[in-house]
Amino acid sequence: MATTEAHLPFPGAEAGEVRDWVTRVNPLVLLAVGACSLVGSFAIRSLPIALAAVGAYAVAALLLLPTWRYPLLCLAFSGFAAVTIVYSTWRLGGQDTETAVVAGLRILVLAWPGSVVVGFLDPGRLGDYAAQTLRLPARPVAAFSAALQRFAGFAQTWTDLERTRRARGVAPGRSPIAMTRYSGSMGFALLVQALRGASSSSIAMDARGFASAATRTWAEPAIWTRLDFVGLSLAVVLGALPIMLFFSGL
Amino acid sequence: MSRGAARFRGFSWRPVGRKHATIAGVDLDIRAGERVLMVGSSGSGKSTLLHALAGALGTTISGEATGEVEVDGRLGLVLQNPADAIVAERIGRDVAFGPENLGLPRRETWRRVDAALAAVGLSYGRDRFTSALSGGEQQRLVLAGVLAIEPDLVLLDEPTSMLDSATASQVRDAVVGALGGRTLLVVEHRFEPWLDHVDRIIVLAPGGTIAFDGSVEAFLASGGVPGLWMPGAPPPEPLDVPLDLVKPSADPEPVVARDLTVELVTRTIRGSRRSTALSGFDARMDPGRVLAVKGPSGSGKSTALMAMTGLVRPATGTVTPDLSRLRSRDLARGMGWVPQNPELGFLTTSVREEVARTATGLGVSVDVDALLELVGLAHLGPAHPYRLSGGEQRRLAMISALAHRPGLVALDEPTVGQDRDTWAMVAGWYTAAARAGAAVALATHDPDAPRDVEVVL
Repeated sequence: MATTEAHLPFPGAEAGEVRDWVTRVNPLVLLAVGACSLVGSFAIRSLPIALAAVGAYAVAALLLLPTWRYPLLCLAFSGFAAVTIVYSTWRLGGQDTETAVVAGLRILVLAWPGSVVVGFLDPGRLGDYAAQTLRLPARPVAAFSAALQRFAGFAQTWTDLERTRRARGVAPGRSPIAMTRYSGSMGFALLVQALRGASSSSIAMDARGFASAATRTWAEPAIWTRLDFVGLSLAVVLGALPIMLFFSGL
Repeated sequence: MSRGAARFRGFSWRPVGRKHATIAGVDLDIRAGERVLMVGSSGSGKSTLLHALAGALGTTISGEATGEVEVDGRLGLVLQNPADAIVAERIGRDVAFGPENLGLPRRETWRRVDAALAAVGLSYGRDRFTSALSGGEQQRLVLAGVLAIEPDLVLLDEPTSMLDSATASQVRDAVVGALGGRTLLVVEHRFEPWLDHVDRIIVLAPGGTIAFDGSVEAFLASGGVPGLWMPGAPPPEPLDVPLDLVKPSADPEPVVARDLTVELVTRTIRGSRRSTALSGFDARMDPGRVLAVKGPSGSGKSTALMAMTGLVRPATGTVTPDLSRLRSRDLARGMGWVPQNPELGFLTTSVREEVARTATGLGVSVDVDALLELVGLAHLGPAHPYRLSGGEQRRLAMISALAHRPGLVALDEPTVGQDRDTWAMVAGWYTAAARAGAAVALATHDPDAPRDVEVVL
């Protein structure tokens, strides 16, 4: 299929620019961004803290991410969760608007940064760092990394399933009910394909020594560069911001 | 047993959901260093025996195994679909997966990676993306991954059936060149090119019993077994399919494709990759004729077929009539498409429902019993489509996609990896459809598949 092939840079991001840092820092730094935001979110107890924390993450996203569309998509999903929290807190919590908004923004800080950075994880490097830096057990790490690798293929399988259904005359019209039922059937078909692919993969991996891998090694080292330490510090600072503001009495 | 040897004693296997064993009491010895070719019709249990050696039966694959299977030494397995065996984003790390599992130091791992990549003739360097490789290259990558663990016994499950003959020959040369003194057990339908490289042939009969076991010379002298692709034998006569099962319900218009370019963009959050799947493609599908789109693996045959039948929209060029904007039902009424992977198309939970599904939705009457009888699936009416063997699934996918008698018939690699009976049935179906007035197009690298017109990519 690949008669010509080109790896396109992100729009507006040349190699070495600040905005592709997120693709160059190691995966544990990315996970740290998500983990620190989660911890920091618990300190969001007032509107000023909430606005400061959300603002800090938004500025970081503006400066450091190579693409707009994906973080906005994640924002839409976590924003939906936040809005439902705002509404239920407002209804059940004495109709106090400020408390409700703070609760909603807390959920946003808890979920949004993590959901964005997880999209930039490289499964192979995640395996290297999880096993060598965090000393997690080698076999589950290798299996997890190989499983994540398969995610990339799901988009293609989805397209293939959609195409076959269109040719069989069962793709939905414009009715929302038909579309919902169709998504369900597609989701199930994708699951079946994923499971069948996974069992073939498992056979192939076991036949390459995975079944009996007692002491596994890693072909590439898990190196921490200066950029990684800068990224880690930034993750900690962003996560610590609401905590510091909380203790400062805001 | 010595290293590289394998042994079956009274081995039987019954997969979950089947009443009878698919392998029944097999006794077999494979000696160290032997090169063995295993052949047999679809569903005779060839892959099952390889899976048994790989230790997958009763663990990854559910069912009931009895008897003994023993392997002395380390084994390496190459499956039919290389995509299932790729575990990493870049080729160096993919090949390194085996050495990492063996716990080898970094320096030795990379020495083996480089040696294995050189042995299979992949010269891109370690950082090439695995997704950027063609089918034949992926299969060689998987072979490199197997060689890197320095196995004593190499198992190959139809390693070249999805490849065109030039690419298949590259993969075969890579195997033979890298094998050294290792034991080889290869399963293949179109086995003639392997005969010069093996010293023993085992023929499995339906039901998983051994019908022949001996040298290549003895096998050829015996005249072979019916249903096998014997060297030099002409392809089978296409099955005589009654025209009323395939006669289009409405006369099709010719489809004309001019100067088509199709671009595929794969997007991930970390970047996007654009590939030109097809360029400068001209062809026409005429009623009453079979068009074959041929070309090497990865040249865009499937894409060409999809572009002509409205399943993919071209970036430039024209297709007349343009079917790509039709609603699903309207598109299906006029065309039928049989994808290469039959499982992608299954929509229901029984073989009978599957055959009737599209036709019922379109309000077209279909004689399901006659169709099932024709393709030899009458006894499997209530079975779940996923429970069928590869050849059975292929036949089911074809009649399910085409039972409503469309005027345009498109089949993607319909004859590859098939035994002679399935081949004759598939060829019989689409040639009959063309005789009855349908416009038929195939994407194929099978030189024997019957055709009237050819376009080479």
